[in-house]
Amino acid sequence: MNRHYPNGLAIELEGVGKKYRFFSLDNIHLKVPEGQIMGLIGPNGAGKSTTIRILMGLVHQDSGEVRVLGHQMPAEQVAAKWDIGFASEDMRLYESETLAWHMNFIQSIYLSWDAAYAQVLLKRFGLRAEQKIKGLSHGQRVKATLLLVLARRPKLLVLDEPTTGLDPVARHEILRELTGVMTDEGRTVLFSSHNTQDVEQISDRITFIDRGRIIDSMDKEMYLDRWRRLRIEVPFGIQLPALPGIIGVKQDGRLAIATSNAFDPDVANAYESTGARIQRIENMTLEEIFVANVEHSREEVEA
Amino acid sequence: MRGSVVGHLILKDWRLQCLPILASVAAGALALAILQRGNETAFVVGSVWLFVALIVIGCMLPIFAIVNERKKQNLAFLMSLPISNMQYTTAKLVSTVGMFLAPWLTMVIATLLIVQIRGILPHGTIPITLILLMLPFVGFCFIAGTSLVGESEGWSTAATLVCNSSYGLVWYFIVKIPALTLTFKSPVAIWSPTALAIFGSELASVPLMLGLTFFLQSRKRDFV
Amino acid sequence: MDGAFAISQSDKRPMYLQIMEQIKQRIAVGDWTEGQAIPSIRQLAVDLQVSVITVKRAYLELEREGIIVTQQGKGSHVASTPGLGARLREQELEQHLEQAARIAALLGLRPRQLEHRLREAGDRLAEKEII
Repeated sequence: MNRHYPNGLAIELEGVGKKYRFFSLDNIHLKVPEGQIMGLIGPNGAGKSTTIRILMGLVHQDSGEVRVLGHQMPAEQVAAKWDIGFASEDMRLYESETLAWHMNFIQSIYLSWDAAYAQVLLKRFGLRAEQKIKGLSHGQRVKATLLLVLARRPKLLVLDEPTTGLDPVARHEILRELTGVMTDEGRTVLFSSHNTQDVEQISDRITFIDRGRIIDSMDKEMYLDRWRRLRIEVPFGIQLPALPGIIGVKQDGRLAIATSNAFDPDVANAYESTGARIQRIENMTLEEIFVANVEHSREEVEA
Repeated sequence: MRGSVVGHLILKDWRLQCLPILASVAAGALALAILQRGNETAFVVGSVWLFVALIVIGCMLPIFAIVNERKKQNLAFLMSLPISNMQYTTAKLVSTVGMFLAPWLTMVIATLLIVQIRGILPHGTIPITLILLMLPFVGFCFIAGTSLVGESEGWSTAATLVCNSSYGLVWYFIVKIPALTLTFKSPVAIWSPTALAIFGSELASVPLMLGLTFFLQSRKRDFV
Repeated sequence: MDGAFAISQSDKRPMYLQIMEQIKQRIAVGDWTEGQAIPSIRQLAVDLQVSVITVKRAYLELEREGIIVTQQGKGSHVASTPGLGARLREQELEQHLEQAARIAALLGLRPRQLEHRLREAGDRLAEKEII
């Protein structure tokens, strides 16, 4: 594998902090290796957009180091942005102009514009270049913005909520293009989303962020491997013991649900040895993992 | 890289705002057409209209070119391009000042030509004419700079209010300065030290305000 | 070729298992034969619109089971073991038979009744194929 950047990392945030009046980002560590898709999941107000703006050099961090494609940010943001395609949910194109005008504008600036691919995208997304932006629906505007970013084939794609507010067909179209980027192993994608299903499907690595802190960051398959839900039948008079790797137990009468973030089959045996009966051990979807993780981390902070 | 990104941004601004610019030049041309008719009524109407046109352009331009870009959330799109916030500031100031200079220079030159060629007024009135015509330009730079640094319609409106309410007052004081009005009847333009001082400070205020704008922009840590 | 691959969102099993199963089915059915080249990890990830890491895991597990072989720089292919297809078909049959036995038990059928039902199913299939 070619390693173009220090440590083979397309994005590296170390100890990044940013303080606002009512919100602060705290000690953010984030590593995105070249050639991977990183999904960033967090509730509203968690700090996803702020983190993304910091790595784009649009906001200057109060502390910590930011390196994107080998460039220090925000000092070298101009050099970095030549190779970054950025789209955020609150970004708008010029209403009075056509999509074609925007395509020409971008093409006149960047050498890497692929006109043939742009035409393919127009067809795939069902967009007409002669249309003015103000005449487009929300979904079409999002696709138009993404087209402008994708057709340049940038080395790094940074997308803040690219599929939010889109209908299932449009979402599918976009996910298809995002995974298509992976054909070139030198290209990297970082995207943030509420939609855990999208993130679960296409991400190689997933980072959870909540209330300004990173609460977890690892390979997607590891998440899916480590988290389990155990459905347990607890006979009368038995108290379930606290076990390693079990972060929460909810009990309602004789039925209990134990959630584990570091699953080990021995745990099931440990429960059974107390007299309880394991009904089922279930895998958890990324959404369930995320919610459980956030609840757990908030409890820990309050403790 | 094809050409400079800053250059592309300036061209983009001019292209997006070409309608307002044309409208403003048309308004100014109309004012001048009235002015050159020569009689006293035409002169008063024409000169008032000329100043109003320049003041209005000075207020509207920052709204169209600066405030709207932020309000309509185009700024994130622009800042995703390979530019720094200082380059954006440069492009914005150059394009906006350029858009004001186009009608303003035209009108200044046309006014002077009318005064000279048509002989409506003696050349002695040239210094005060220039001093008065400089005012909308100074006001515009103030509004543009405040709009860019202030990041909201509120700041732009406040700056506009300050300017517009000051014009009348400044005019009043200027036309009362003997050093300027005494030379009216002279067939030759006489630049007294007072006139030079006033005109000079007007000229100097422009780079000062633009420089201050640059400085304040460079201090920003959250750009979008 | 890859139009027949589909990852189901409603299937609760992990994606990499679904991929493994579908690859094994291809080989069992004879669509992919011993020694045949198969899509690279990246290519399959793009075609299925899933993460590279998921396909990588599926391929690793399949390699561990001796079903495919991945060579650095040369891509991946079905293992050249003769009779691989037949072996996988055997495995599938076993799985289905176990499942049938489990369901029969739930229904309360005895082994002899299950045998009977299986024979009937075989006869029905034979009839269809003649027609």
